[in-house]
This record gives sequence, C-alpha cells and structure tokens, in this order.
Amino acid sequence: MLRDRPTADASAPRTSVAISFGSPASESGITRLDLNEILIQHPQAAFLMRVSGSSMQAAGVEDGDLALIDRGMEATHGRIVIAIVNDEFICRRLHRRGSDVRLQATDPACADWVAGEGEELQIWGVVTHVIRPLAG
Amino acid sequence: MFALVDVNNMYVSCERVFRPSLIGRPVVVLSNNDGACIARSNEAKDLGVRMAQPWFEVRHLERSAGLIALSANFELYGDMSSRMMSLAAEFAPRQQIYSIDECFLDFDGVPGDLRAIGRELRSKVLGWTGLPTSVGFGPTKTLAKLANHVAKMADRKPGSYPAELAQVCNFGLLSPEQLAAVMRTTEVGNVWGIGRKTTAKLNQGGIHNVQDLVQADAAALGRQFSIVVERTIQELRGTPCMGVEDAPEANQQIMCSRSFGTPVTDLPAMTEVLSQFATQVARKLRDQRSVAGAVHVFITTSPYRRNDAQHSPSATLPLGRPSDDTRVLISAAVRALRSVFKPGFNYVKAGVMLADLQQSEPSAPGLAQQSTLDLFDPEPEPESQAQAPQRNRTELMNTMDALNLRFGRDAVTVASAGRRSGPSAHASKQDRRSPRYTTRLDEIVTARA
Repeated sequence: MLRDRPTADASAPRTSVAISFGSPASESGITRLDLNEILIQHPQAAFLMRVSGSSMQAAGVEDGDLALIDRGMEATHGRIVIAIVNDEFICRRLHRRGSDVRLQATDPACADWVAGEGEELQIWGVVTHVIRPLAG
Repeated sequence: MFALVDVNNMYVSCERVFRPSLIGRPVVVLSNNDGACIARSNEAKDLGVRMAQPWFEVRHLERSAGLIALSANFELYGDMSSRMMSLAAEFAPRQQIYSIDECFLDFDGVPGDLRAIGRELRSKVLGWTGLPTSVGFGPTKTLAKLANHVAKMADRKPGSYPAELAQVCNFGLLSPEQLAAVMRTTEVGNVWGIGRKTTAKLNQGGIHNVQDLVQADAAALGRQFSIVVERTIQELRGTPCMGVEDAPEANQQIMCSRSFGTPVTDLPAMTEVLSQFATQVARKLRDQRSVAGAVHVFITTSPYRRNDAQHSPSATLPLGRPSDDTRVLISAAVRALRSVFKPGFNYVKAGVMLADLQQSEPSAPGLAQQSTLDLFDPEPEPESQAQAPQRNRTELMNTMDALNLRFGRDAVTVASAGRRSGPSAHASKQDRRSPRYTTRLDEIVTARA
C-alpha cells in the first residue's frame, strides 16, 4: 500500500520513439562491468581527494594518488582514514585500541597524532581505494 | 504523518564539509555577482546579518568581526543536495523534494517510533555527507514545517523550546497542552505560508503567536486574507489540506517536477520533458519578475521497481549571468541533463529547479525587463525588438515557449546554440567561490600524507 504510484499526466513524453540498442539492464539482465559499482559501496557517501606526501607509502598510499573515500564506512582499528587535524585533511592509519586512539603514518619519522587536552579525534571518512595511473 | 527534513544553513554547511576552518566562524554565502547574502551561518545570524541583505551593508564585519563571505558554489550545493535527498528518500515510502535543501517525507502507514527514525535519518545524513539537518514531524505539512522550525530553534537557541525537541521534533508525541505551549512561544510569522505583510496585519488584529492563529476564526480570516490563510489554519489544527505533491512554492526557488506514467528511458525523450519543465519554470520566473542564477536538474528511477537498476542523479549548472530567458534556462537544463543521463534506466520522475533567484534589474520605463535583450544576450535580437516594450518581449518569450512545447528538441538546439557566445564570455563575478570539490576532478580537496 505504500508504493509510490507515478501518476500519468500530460508532461509524460508523448511521441518520442528513439532507435537505440535498448536497455541492456532491463532486457537481458546483463550489464557491462561498472567501476562505480565495483568500487563504491555507498554512492551518497563517496568522495575523492588527492593525496599529497609520502608518509603513508608503506600502506600503499603514494604521493599524487587519487583517494576514494567512503564516509558511510565505520572507521575501525587499522583502517586508512582521512582525519581533520588543525583544520586540515590528513591521511593516516587509525589506531584504536580501547582508550588508546591515535593516527599513525607508516613513515617512522612521522610522529603519531594523539588527541590533546580538550581535543577530539575528527574522522572525515575511510579511504577504501587509491587510484594511480601506471601508464601515460 | 509528514516529516520535513531540511539542511541547517545549507550553503554554509556544504562549504564547511570541505573547509573545516569555517566551522564555528561567521560565514555568509553571496548571490550571483556577490550582491547579497543568501545563506548565513548561525554565527553570522548572531552578528545581525539579515537574509538577502546586500553585501556592501555588512562588508565592514569582515574586518571587525571576522565575517567570511563566499561566492555561491551551486555545483557543490546541487551535488550535496542530491546526496542528502537520496539518503532521506530511503526512510519513507514517499518523498517530495521541496527545495534544494528540504523535502517532505510521507510516513503514512509506517509503524514504529518516528522520532527514532528521524534521529537515525539525521545521524545518517550527517555521517555520510557531513550535512546537519533538522527533522520535524506533524500530521499535516504545515505542522511538519512548524515542528522543523522548533527542532532547529531548540537546537540553535537552547531554552527557546524544551530541549528534547531539538534537532528532531515530533508534534505527534506532544500532549495537546504541550503543543499549545509550543505554539504560544512561536511567533505567527514563522508559520509556513504566512508572509511578512500578512504577519503585520495579523499582529494588528491581535494575533501574535501561532496559538492565537489556531484559535482564530478561520473562515473570517479566509475572507479577510485568502483561502491560503484559511487552509493554513486548518492545517495547524491538524486537518490536512495539502497532499504530498502539493505545496506552495518555496521561497527563493521555483520548481517543476512530475512523475511519469510510463518510464522515460532515452535522452531525446528526457530532453523534451525537461525542456517543457524549463519552459514552465521560466514562465513562473518572469511572472514574479525575477531572474535565476542557477538551474538544478534531477532525474530519478523508482526504488519500488525492484528489478530495475537504480540511477537517480542530479546536476546544477550556475548561469554565467542571471537570466529569465527561456532559451538560456532550457539550454542550461539540457546541458545539466546530458552530464548525468545514462541510457538504459527507467526514469520515473524528473524535475527542474531554479535557484539563486533575484529581482530583475529595474530599468527605465519603456525598456522594462530589457535585461535579457541587452548587449550581452546570447542571442541578440534585431534592434527594433531589443527596444520593444515589455509586451513585445513577452510575446517573444511566449512564442518561444510555444515553440519549445511543440518542438522540444529543436528549440533546445536554438537555445544551446546561443551559449557558445553567451554566459562563458560574460562570466559573473565570483571572486570568492570555493572549489567545486565534488564535480571537478581538478578542484578536489588535497589530503596530506
């Protein structure tokens, strides 16, 4: 009883008959692989950022990579996240073990970020993939 | 029950998602050509910046109070809007997108604790998109809208209403006495559909708060003002007078949208539909002597057609120069459509929304409404017509409208042809526009690693 019934009205297209190859989705159920569907679990929560810097190389995140971010995914221990520190976006691995919460770079020269007095960890989203061209 | 979901200070909130340094600071977003404040953060409201206030009047606050002004970034707002709308749509069987930042949800027949559902919705939209919303529930649209106002004010000004009404407010959970108390503390001007002039007259007649209005003689006020006022009173008393697709036009926006009897699957057909919609909104725009600065287009598949692949995109195209010209608006709508349309989907609904509305520039008598036939017109008219009075120009537009209706695709070609030398060549002043973080690959945010 809760179906949204589209109402017929005059603004529906009247006579447009276009010759096309039809709709693969509705006719055969077969569709070409779509990277959006493969890479994006939550379309409304998917965002892209550009990575700058090399402190996350050992986690597979290189300088210049395109980072695909999912804000709908839970930021759990070990995930690569985008966090807000000093009003800037930074890419780090989240370490979350009980009350021990820190942001870690894979570069050992980079100090961990730990919440200071009155500060709160602000996670913007979880990095699910990085995209990096290998040719031209 | 209806819910009204809207984004708090939408444009500012969109900017803050991608620029955390704006959080907690007074921010305004300026209309096309940086003329007037069309969105204000709470901090800016607290500084006394009024809605639609000209920028030059508050500019001094930049230095004295740290006010930050940004040029409108409608591509960003449109994209964030479509994310929010599609998340909200998951929570109820029916949705009516009412403006770029608000929608009605019809919860008729939905069991369960609506306030809990509202909180879940709010939390999901905030988490997934970063946008803070307010949710109001009521048995009529007018009451849902009022509940939304209460939810927002209770959050923004603690103490103005009971704290449990903040963020998500369900009038259905209040006793008649509690509801009456809320209505007594709410000024009548906050009621949906009661404008500034009506408010002043109601005040003169001794009606100051919403409860006064509820107890007034609806029929008498209907005769004194309009059927709208009478219906509003009925709605405030809990008698629905508006269906889900039926509502007065939102402020600062004009929209035309429809569901289709038969799904639309191909681009030419959708182009024709959206051209018709654009023609209709252009006419409404001219009726109220306004120009629009941006065109927002959305097309949706139906989640109730379970075997269908789903695709419900939207796109917003800022105009180079605000316009009320049917040709310009169709051209923009069609360009926006082409950027998001994918063949092979069963689209069941589409809409065209105009945003960033402003009064047309007043011009000399006899040259009234000349603005779309001026030197910068994408399709310059013969001189005789350019100097023609309003009536001829309207005829031109009416003819145009008729042609569009009859030859949707061809008319679109005409309009599109105009843009090559049009808006881009005379891009509006947008000195302070933030990057288009979600629609342009070369403008995305950089994260340090």
